[in-house]
Amino acid sequence: MAQALLEQIINGTMMGSIYMLVALGMVLIYGVMHVLNFAHGVLFMVGGYVCHFFFTQVLDSYLLAILGSMAVLSVIGLALERGVFRRLRDNLRMQVIASLGLILVIQNGVIAIWGPNALQMRITTTDIRVPIGELSFTLQHFLIIGTVGVTVTAIWLFLTRTRIGTALRATSQNAEAAQVVGIDANRMYVASFLIGCALAALGGALLGPLFLIFPTMGDLPLLKGLAAIIIGGMGSIPGAIIGGLGIGIVEAVSTLYIPTDFRDTVVFAALIAVLLLRPQGLFGVRVRGEA
Amino acid sequence: MLEARGLTAGYGGGRIIVDGVDIDARAGEVVTIIGQNGAGKSTLLKGIFNMVPVRRGSVSLDGAEVFDQRPDRLLAGGLAYIPQNHSIFPKLTVAENLRMGGFLLRDQRLLVERIGEVEAMFPILVERRDEYAAGLSGGEQRMLEIARTLLMAPKVIMLDEPSIGLAPRLVDQVFQTVRTLAEQGKAMLMVEQNVKKALAASDRGYVLELGQVKLHDRADRLLADDRTAQLYMGARPGGTAPSAEAPEGRP
Ligand SMILES: Nc1ncnc2c1ncn2[C@@H]1O[C@H](COP(=O)(O)OP(=O)(O)OP(=O)(O)O)[C@@H](O)[C@H]1O
Ligand SMILES: [Mg+2]
Repeated sequence: MAQALLEQIINGTMMGSIYMLVALGMVLIYGVMHVLNFAHGVLFMVGGYVCHFFFTQVLDSYLLAILGSMAVLSVIGLALERGVFRRLRDNLRMQVIASLGLILVIQNGVIAIWGPNALQMRITTTDIRVPIGELSFTLQHFLIIGTVGVTVTAIWLFLTRTRIGTALRATSQNAEAAQVVGIDANRMYVASFLIGCALAALGGALLGPLFLIFPTMGDLPLLKGLAAIIIGGMGSIPGAIIGGLGIGIVEAVSTLYIPTDFRDTVVFAALIAVLLLRPQGLFGVRVRGEA
Repeated sequence: MLEARGLTAGYGGGRIIVDGVDIDARAGEVVTIIGQNGAGKSTLLKGIFNMVPVRRGSVSLDGAEVFDQRPDRLLAGGLAYIPQNHSIFPKLTVAENLRMGGFLLRDQRLLVERIGEVEAMFPILVERRDEYAAGLSGGEQRMLEIARTLLMAPKVIMLDEPSIGLAPRLVDQVFQTVRTLAEQGKAMLMVEQNVKKALAASDRGYVLELGQVKLHDRADRLLADDRTAQLYMGARPGGTAPSAEAPEGRP
């Protein structure tokens, strides 16, 4: 039993790390721009494809392929922010419609380019096994956990220790006040979209080789990331981080007690329970803007 | 120092809120704008600071036309604005709030030096440096807003109802601070509902009605003027703003 529990905790931490990347990106964009970007999951997916492309066609280095994918997605993010979301500022309904539309456009674009079938990406870290007691995991599991750990720590330090990072948090807490201290909102929008899309790309590039790369690979990470930021309290960055990790671990451990098919149900049951008991989320405040 | 001519401002939809207002504030002066709720006082300040979607007219700062400049450029040019709604960052610490006040200062040494100066002016901010700004009382939050503004060493400060929601003792303290800043040579332009105390602390005043200047005079004359008294004293005994429910004190 302890073995099985350990196994699921490690699996859950791995998946939770992926959810964390998605949730952190979404919450940054939401906090600064008030855009709930439902297209975040397809950006994650495109990140997987672009990484696969770079790895198989161009670079033959997984690390460079990941960085290349993050760079490409940053540019796509920039274009989406400029071309779509900035124009729809303060228009929540249109933003939702636009992001749902983007899902269709991007998903069909990917199918047009790469076809509907899953792609496989063979890298050494998925072949190497790491034994822990009687268990064994792929090295990729730990690569994911480690990379996300380092990345999230770096983002956290950026947000708390740097001038621009603090300005990002300031903008998400009080946009009018940010304007009167001279923070240019447009620059903050760009920064949040850039970081958010790069994180989504990183997620897709890390998960792709472990499972497969396919047009709907971002759907579940999107839903879990969304659940994470709601459970964590809309707009709360620590909430998104802990929420993402927590969801990964809870759903993995739940498979020990209930059939695997109900894994997603457990997450959404937890979401509903949090909403009933603590509507502002675990780390949220009751009303946006009020402390 | 600060001069607006024929300033017209609104939020779109065809309705003009501020209608051709001429107003100015000179160095060393406290100028107060009074007027009923909805008269357009806040919109006037926002209009000067280029934060409303519809505006016409001219705004000059130290003789230079700045009407088209973005808020961050205005701030860099010496015009600061403290809005009516609390403009602190609730989940940044007091120290981080101060640092954000100097966001546009590229020179970090200068920023640290100026933070030292304003902390000397407002000791409470040193005491609570590492706490979230949300934990400060209403009066302390106002002080933080004023202190934060000073980091850019502005020549003109516009304050929208700085005394709103404060206990009488703190109202006096805020107006005292405003006077002190004027004595240091800044031009202070404030909007107030607390008519008596505000005019008592001012050099000149404007009465705004339906987006237009109805009266403009020396503050002492306005205080004595029957029309001002009739319009504002009776309606608001003691001059306390209607939303002043919570006196000073921490939760
Ligand atoms: N963001 C906005 N969008 C549309 N209309 C607005 C907006 N803000 C204010 N108004 C309208 O502009 C008018 C003037 O508002 P303003 O806030 O300038 O008045 P005020 O004199 O500051 O009043 P108060 O004493 O209540 O602060 C009001 O009719 C208000 O409804
Ligand atoms: Mg007002």
